[in-house]
This record gives sequence, structure tokens and C-alpha cells, in this order.
Amino acid sequence: MTVTPTEIAAPPARRKVNILFGLTLIGLLAFLWILLGFVTASFWTPLNISNLLRQGAMTAILALGQTFVIITAGIDLSVGAIVGFCTVILAWLLQAGVPVWASILITLLIGVGIGVFHGFGIVKMGLPPFIITLATLTSLRGIGLLITNGSTINIVNEPFTNFARADFLGVPSLFWMVILVAVPSYVFLHLSRWGRYLFAVGSNREAARLSGVRVNGIIYLAYILSATFAAFVGVLLASRIAIGNATQADGWELQAIASSVIGGTSLFGAVGSVHGPLIGAFILATINNGANLLNVNSFWQRIITGLLIIVIVYFDQLRRRRNP
Amino acid sequence: MSLEEVSHRHDDSAKLTEANRIPAGAPILELKGLQKNYGYVQALKPATVTFLAGEIHAIVGENGAGKSTLIKLLTGVITRTAGEILWCGHPVALATPNEAIARGINAVHQEVVLCPHLTVAANLFLGDEVNQYGLMRKKEMERMAQAVLDDLGFGLPAHVLLSDLTIGQQQLVATARAAMRGTQFLIFDEPTAYLTRQESAQLFKLIRRLQGEGVTIVYISHRMEEVFELADRVSVLRDGTHVGTRTIGETNEAELIALMINRSIEQIYHKEEIPIGETIVDVRGLSGPGFENVSLSVKAGQIVGLYGLIGAGRSEFALGLYGREKTTGEIHWMGKKVDIKDERTAMELGIALAPESRRDQGLCLNLPIGLNINLPVFKRLSKGPVISHSEESQNADQQIRDLAIKTPSRRVLVSAMSGGNQQKVVIGKWLSHGARLFIFDEPTVGVDVGTKAEIYRLFAKLLKQGAGIILISSYLPEVYELADRLHVFRRGQLVASHDFHAATHEEVLGEAIGV
Repeated sequence: MTVTPTEIAAPPARRKVNILFGLTLIGLLAFLWILLGFVTASFWTPLNISNLLRQGAMTAILALGQTFVIITAGIDLSVGAIVGFCTVILAWLLQAGVPVWASILITLLIGVGIGVFHGFGIVKMGLPPFIITLATLTSLRGIGLLITNGSTINIVNEPFTNFARADFLGVPSLFWMVILVAVPSYVFLHLSRWGRYLFAVGSNREAARLSGVRVNGIIYLAYILSATFAAFVGVLLASRIAIGNATQADGWELQAIASSVIGGTSLFGAVGSVHGPLIGAFILATINNGANLLNVNSFWQRIITGLLIIVIVYFDQLRRRRNP
Repeated sequence: MSLEEVSHRHDDSAKLTEANRIPAGAPILELKGLQKNYGYVQALKPATVTFLAGEIHAIVGENGAGKSTLIKLLTGVITRTAGEILWCGHPVALATPNEAIARGINAVHQEVVLCPHLTVAANLFLGDEVNQYGLMRKKEMERMAQAVLDDLGFGLPAHVLLSDLTIGQQQLVATARAAMRGTQFLIFDEPTAYLTRQESAQLFKLIRRLQGEGVTIVYISHRMEEVFELADRVSVLRDGTHVGTRTIGETNEAELIALMINRSIEQIYHKEEIPIGETIVDVRGLSGPGFENVSLSVKAGQIVGLYGLIGAGRSEFALGLYGREKTTGEIHWMGKKVDIKDERTAMELGIALAPESRRDQGLCLNLPIGLNINLPVFKRLSKGPVISHSEESQNADQQIRDLAIKTPSRRVLVSAMSGGNQQKVVIGKWLSHGARLFIFDEPTVGVDVGTKAEIYRLFAKLLKQGAGIILISSYLPEVYELADRLHVFRRGQLVASHDFHAATHEEVLGEAIGV
């Protein structure tokens, strides 16, 4: 039972683990790409890379919005439902003959409205974020199905549906959309005072409030951004699949949360970045893509994704514990 | 049922009997060259200290002197870098909290670590519930808990939720809990920081009773008078070094302070003659949650002290004045009637509040020092929407330098700092804001003598710059020696006001208690 102190002090195995700690996320992504390049013939083909970037793009944008919310120590479970709902709204508007630009604008404004509603539920009604966004998740799918009466609305607008398939400078337009969202997000989160306030609210709401931060406003802002990003993804998805259907994007909220967490965001709040969830999203996309190329059963993909989340977050925890 | 009966419930089964065999006055716990490094930082340099069975051993030292590190080592929260710990003469690992508890080593922390949503009884028996056929015997536990509380003379009900008690009462519950565990070695980490005088007296009675039972007590405190009232011996830590152990009869306050701070004893209460200027704020009949009909004014160059027991309404008044709570009554700011509807309005007028609880109200613990310091002034540090990186780092570094905050960098997380340094961050975040009225709520709780003196000197500096200060303290000498005007609160009301030294300690205390 009694252990001498020398046995307890500094286990020597530590050094080896450090190398794994040092392996950054971007390193992991590069490693996966190189590995897939060796084991499959078709990974490094322009078509596949374009596909990969398209697949990852939408999750990446969702994960970014989700990250703002998680930094405030909240959660937004509704983003997948918002995506599906917004494909319906957009298709419906286009079917009714509303011009494309107006349809997109209205869809985005509906995203803002949903975010405001979440903020209202949390700030004014005092509901936990988990509950209010869970409630919107299920209701939005219901409203979407009511509008279409359970069927889908086809989008017959050629220029709009061509957008998602188009390339610009050899890079898929969807990936450009990630950059379009990520750059202002970076400025917002890392360079502006609003970003600092998000972290402060996530760390200690009362301290932030007593320091003159408008805490309620910051919470509204986080949920509005998340819902609006989701609405934007809804527009992109509608363009890609050319239909409006409320059951689309099923489970994407979990993909977004997973990407964010893989990217180093802490579910306890006050820890997160812009680049983290983006890389996280493309790691998940790469795994799915690679598994497809390797003909791995899609059921296995889900299992691998789950295991990977555990491993990455566990290593991140170890790193944090070592370096408080 | 008495405390002793409950605490010896498991004696036959535990390893605790080992410690019972050590006769009073013989070494029970010996530290030999005990050392702890965090990276390159030596939090505790090799320390050799012996604790004798049945003694009350005080440990004093400034913040960051290594007291917390020592407690964490003894309670198995962290593991040592080098050295040896002998428990009852045998080397032990003390690698986990469970091991420490199993051996009979327990700690009562400054901040209560219990479950606020459970009843007092449930907290007392948490992890050690009374079971029958695998089911908890709730009634039985409540009865036993009540018996123990009555036996201790705490006058607390066992069936209420812990969160319904004051912080002081919760501290007493935490102590009773440790006492009930058949503890052989009990560490108190500044237990009286949040206690009223009466609660402190109850606590001291319990400590003496445990000592009578043969329990060894380690008592950490900044309050010298407590050390001299309670302890048999005292060890002094300075900058992670154990600089000496004295028998209490053979030392005095001056020697201990000299050992602690390694510099000549200065006047701790630093009061300068500063001319009193115009009225900054005039509060007329302010009422809000927890306080009623309070009228007072603060002038430039003046410290207004608010004294009272915890829960007397002083902090509530401060939060009301700061716009955190809704109030009725009138506030005149620089001669003009103002409506302080929220914290932002108060800030923009020029009010700064360093709140009572660092942990709950003052700091974002898991964020860097720099962000905490800059939080109230990011707007000023921004050009358009973007924060100026140079101004941001400049402001943080300046406060770190001016306040002598001990840290390698502004990027260090606040949670990694000692209590005194954390308090400096709470204060530092308001210094660059250009406030005219500073409200300091218990600014020196859990802060060592050296840092205290620094904080008092800072007060004088602010006053000279034309600011006014509201100083809230439960430590009478502090407000008594510093405040130009002293207001006494009792049950939410301002019951008496005195000019500097116009009343005796006894009178002020009497007004606060209501005798």
C-alpha cells in the first residue's frame, strides 16, 4: 500500500506522449490527406478534392456559428433543423416567383429571427439553451413539413442551382463561401471587443456584467450568428440539391458540435477559436470521404467518427491539464 | 447523539486507529525536504516541518508564499516533486485525496466546497450515508445531524438547504462535516475570512474541542490575533521557503510579520492627510433588495467605510448604487440627479466596483490576466470594431507593473494565481477606467499583510487623484483605521455614523450587532 515518493514523481513515459500532444490538428489533417493519397488512387484527383471541399464546407460554416454559442457556455441544437427549414423557405419563395436575391435575403432574415427567438427564450424566459434550441429543432422540422405537406419543393432556377456546382479560380464556390464567412468571423472573435465579451460571458457572466458588458446583448448576438450561419448553409444546400425539404440536414447539429469540439472548443465555455472548428469540420469530411474511397461500410464511418471525437478531445484535455 | 459518537462510527474499520496510537506531543506528520515545482517555478522549496499530535499549528505567510501548495500536497490534491512525508512514522504517498481522507487527513477550505442544493444533513453525511438494506435512512441521518449540530451549539437546522445559510454558517457546516469523519489531522484554510465574530467564536470553540479529542489542527490565517489566540506553534512561509517555526509563547506579532515579509514593519494602515473636496455622490433614501432607506454621501479625497455583519446589507447597497439591482430613492452625482438603471450607466458616470466575491463576481477565472484587466475598457482600447493590440497589451502590462502583480506574463490564466494577486487583478481592472468613485467590497479578504499594505497605499493614491472611496469591510480595524466617515449597517439599515475615531471599537461593534 505504501508507495515511496520516488515512485510517484514524474513518470518517464510522459515524454513519448508529448509528441502526440504536439501533433496539431492541421498536422492530423495533413497526415490523413497524405495517408489517403498513398492508399487510394483516386484521393488526389481534382474531382475528389473538390468533392471533399464541398462536403466539408457546409459543416464548417455551421461549426463556426456553433462555436460562438459554445464559447458563451451555451449550445445550439437547432442548426440542422434550421438548414432543412431554410431550404423549404427558399424553395417556396422561388416557386412563388420572388427574385433570387430577395429570397436569399428573406431566408437569412428568418435565420436572424430564429436566433432572436433563442436569445429571448434564454435571456427573458430563463430557459436553458439546450431546451429552447431542442424545442426549435423539432418545431422547425414540423413547420417545414406542414408547408410542403410532407413532400419536397423542386427548385427550377438554373443560375441558382448552378452556383453550388460552380468553381471559381479552380476552387469550389462552396469553399469560397467558407472563406467569406471565416474572415469576418476571425475579425469578430479574435480582434474585436465583441469577441472578448463572448469569452468573458462564457467564463463568468456576473463578472462580465459587473465590468459593464451587456451580457444579454452578447447572448442574443451569439445565437443570432449561429442561426444566421445555419440559414446561410440552408441557402447553400438548397442550391446544391435543388430542392426544398424540411427533413434535409438531419443530424448536422451534431456534426457541427463535433467539429467545434474537435477544433478545441470547450463545452464549458470560454475556450475556442475560428480556425479550430474549420479544421475540425474538414477532418470529419476527410474521414467520410476516405471511408467512401476505401469502400468502408458507412455504418463504420459513424463508429470511426465517434471514436475519433473521443481520442482527439481526450488528448486535448491531457494537453490542457499539463499546461494549465 | 454527540459529535464524538458520530465521528467514531467507523473507527473499527478504518486505518484511522493507526493515528490514535500516537501519544499527544509526539510527531504525527513529518515533512522532510518536501518540494513542489510547477515547470521551472518552485512553488515550495524543500521544507522540513514536523506536526505534533494534538497541537494547533498555525501557518502564516503572504499570498504566494506556498501555503496553498502545502495544503494541496497534504490533502493529496497534487503530488510532490521531491521529498518525503512521514505519517505516524511511516513514509506515505498521499497521492490522492481519497488516500489522505482514508488516513484521517481532512481540510476545510476558505470557499465552501459542498452541495448547495442538498440539505445540511445530506451534506454532513455526503459520501458516508447511513444505509439499511441499501436504502438511505433519511430521517435517521437528519436526526443524527441535528443532534451533532445541537451538540456543537451551532443553532442551525439540519433540514434546510445549504444554500439557505449564510457563507459563514456554511463554513461551520463544512467544519462539522470534517469533524464527523473521524478526522485525525484537520487543516483550516483561512476559515474565518467570511465569518462574523459570533460565528468565529463558535468555530474556535469547535477547534478547541477537537484538539481536546486529540485531533491535530493546522490553522492557516492572515489574522495575527487569531493565531495568537488559538495556536500552540506557528510556522512561517515566505516565497515558497519555510523560514521558521516558533512556539507561540516565545514569539510576538512583530517577529512573525518580520519573518513573513522580510522587511521592516511599516505602518500597515497607511492614512495620509488628504484634503476633502467636492461631493461626488449623494445618496438619499435609497432602498432596494436587502437594504432600506440608506442616505450617505462621498466626497473627493474621502474614504467612507461601511461596517456591519455579513448580510447586513452593505454589499447589497453597493450593488444597488452600481445599478446591478433595481432601487428607489435619489442619487445625485456631482450635484445632478441621475438614474443609474444598469451597470453600464454607473460605469459611464465614473463608478467602479470591486465586488465581494472574486470567484463569483470579480474575475473570469479561466481567462488570461490581460483580458480580465482590460474587460471594462475594451471600448476605449478599440479603434472602430477592432481592438488595438498595442494599447491592449500596454494597459494590461502597466497595471501588472503598477500593482506589482506577480506573473510571468499577462497571458497567464487568472485561475493559476494566488488569492492576493487575483485581488490585485480585480482592483487593477478599474484603475485605467478613470473612475471618480471606487467601491471596494472586502478588498483584503484572504489577502496577506504585504498586499494589504499595498492596497491601502493604492487607496491613498486614488484619493490624491481626487477620487472618493466606499470601503466595505467586515474587519473592524480596517474600516476603523482607514475611513474618514464610518457608517454602521444592521439588517439592511444604516443605523449609525461616526467621524474618524469618534467612536470606540466596542461602540461600533455593539451597533452592528444590535445590543
